[in-house]
Amino acid sequence: MHNIPSEIFRVAYGDLCYMKHNLVQTLVSTLVGPLLYLLAFGYGMRSGDSDYIAYVIPGIVAISSMNSGFSSSSQKIVIQRLFHSSFDELILCPMHTCSVIFGKSVMGIIRGLVGGLIIIGLGMMLTTGLHITLLLIISMLLSSIMFSLLGVAAGLLADSTPTLSMFNSIIILPMSFMCGTLFEIDSLPPIVGDIVWALPLSHTTSIIREAANCSAIEPVSVLVVLIYITIFYSISHVVIRKKLY
Amino acid sequence: MDNEHIIQAENLVKRFGKLTAVDGLDITVNKGEIYGFLGPNGAGKTTTIRLLTTMEKPTSGSIVIDGHDTRTQFLKARRCIGVIQQQNSLDKDLTVRENIFHHGMMQNLSIRKSKDRMEYLADLMELSGRMGDKVSKLSGGWKKRVSIVCSLIHNPNILFMDEPTTGLDTQSRNMLWKMIRNINNQGTTIFLTTHYIYEAESLCDRVGIINKGRLIVEGTPAELKEMVGKFTLVIVDENGNEHTEYFQDMQSAKKASLNASAGGSISIRPTNLEDVFLELTGGKL
Repeated sequence: MHNIPSEIFRVAYGDLCYMKHNLVQTLVSTLVGPLLYLLAFGYGMRSGDSDYIAYVIPGIVAISSMNSGFSSSSQKIVIQRLFHSSFDELILCPMHTCSVIFGKSVMGIIRGLVGGLIIIGLGMMLTTGLHITLLLIISMLLSSIMFSLLGVAAGLLADSTPTLSMFNSIIILPMSFMCGTLFEIDSLPPIVGDIVWALPLSHTTSIIREAANCSAIEPVSVLVVLIYITIFYSISHVVIRKKLY
Repeated sequence: MDNEHIIQAENLVKRFGKLTAVDGLDITVNKGEIYGFLGPNGAGKTTTIRLLTTMEKPTSGSIVIDGHDTRTQFLKARRCIGVIQQQNSLDKDLTVRENIFHHGMMQNLSIRKSKDRMEYLADLMELSGRMGDKVSKLSGGWKKRVSIVCSLIHNPNILFMDEPTTGLDTQSRNMLWKMIRNINNQGTTIFLTTHYIYEAESLCDRVGIINKGRLIVEGTPAELKEMVGKFTLVIVDENGNEHTEYFQDMQSAKKASLNASAGGSISIRPTNLEDVFLELTGGKL
């Protein structure tokens, strides 16, 4: 009988030790991107417009949780798989596949959550329109889980580091700008807007923004996020099971 | 299963597209022995070890590890084995202690058991003084010791080592051989791959020679050498071309050397496993 929470911690232990040893580097690399977005879009473009800052900060938090979650999980797995073969050893251990997948996403989830909370905290100093609520933390958690699982799936599928970089350039980077993070999706041409609305970041941005602004959360967005979580988890599950007997 | 046979592989085949890396391999390893898998680079040694350790699925054939068929009881089979891969799979950003403890946790050991095994093995491998060091600061020999401790943390019956001494200096290599013997004396069966003749001869109880995915011959180093002849007569002609002949006794070799006419040189030496490989395959290790 598998004790899944205990196994997830056991898998994540190595990554947690890594974070402990590299706390400053991890924090800096998590925060530099979102802070630049805040500076460029919050101040540079709208000269400190308080309403826009309240609008854009949840978008930046969504970008931050996506980037942190995705890159932490995917890069580590690609390196472990392709250069150290240690991922092969990991899946040889008597662990449930579910524990391996969620264990490898823990670091991304923590980075996404911590980075997001710091940005929201900074935002609260700049505008009164943002609030840290339980709903906001749950929204950020869902977002970090989803993109960390996407990172695990990408890390398992990528056959080289350039492939992973290409995935980053084609999927992650365009999502950062298009998915309602810095401007409304409605301002895009209709067909493009429909496509963008189907992307996962659009929905995490939506629920994070609504939670941070204390508005009602769209149930459809929560449902879409849960569907994406299931899809990304399933991809990783199938890839690992295919490697096993 | 024969109780004495801890590893049994029958008609093992592994294909990667058009390439056949392992081609109808039969291997039997006895409980408690050090079995050496000797062959040149690209012979199929690493693929074989990945098949035996369930890291790869065979295209066909069967593998039984400590009584467990890997097709139906792979989880049980995995609990019986420790693996040291050719590349170092340690986390270089973690300390030695953290790496070993993490491996213990991954094997579902309790915290107490992980710590007890870690202390015991660190003592056995003379690692106790380096437990707080980051792996990135260790030399190749020390890293290999840490890898061994990690792979033994759950007390496996069989330890698989893929080219364990490749890249190590002579001193580290000798130290590692001593440690491999220590582990074997504790009752662990060892299956190692190597392309070092001396390693196979001096460390292994039995040796299997592999070439192009096929097991050419198997036996104790003495048996294999006796198979081609215990002594090798090496004749080098005036053009530098080398010709070898094998003899079961020194007298016959000396007699043949007297009859040989060479513009170059003539020498007699004990046969080694490279000679066996050369004689059986026509190639070099």
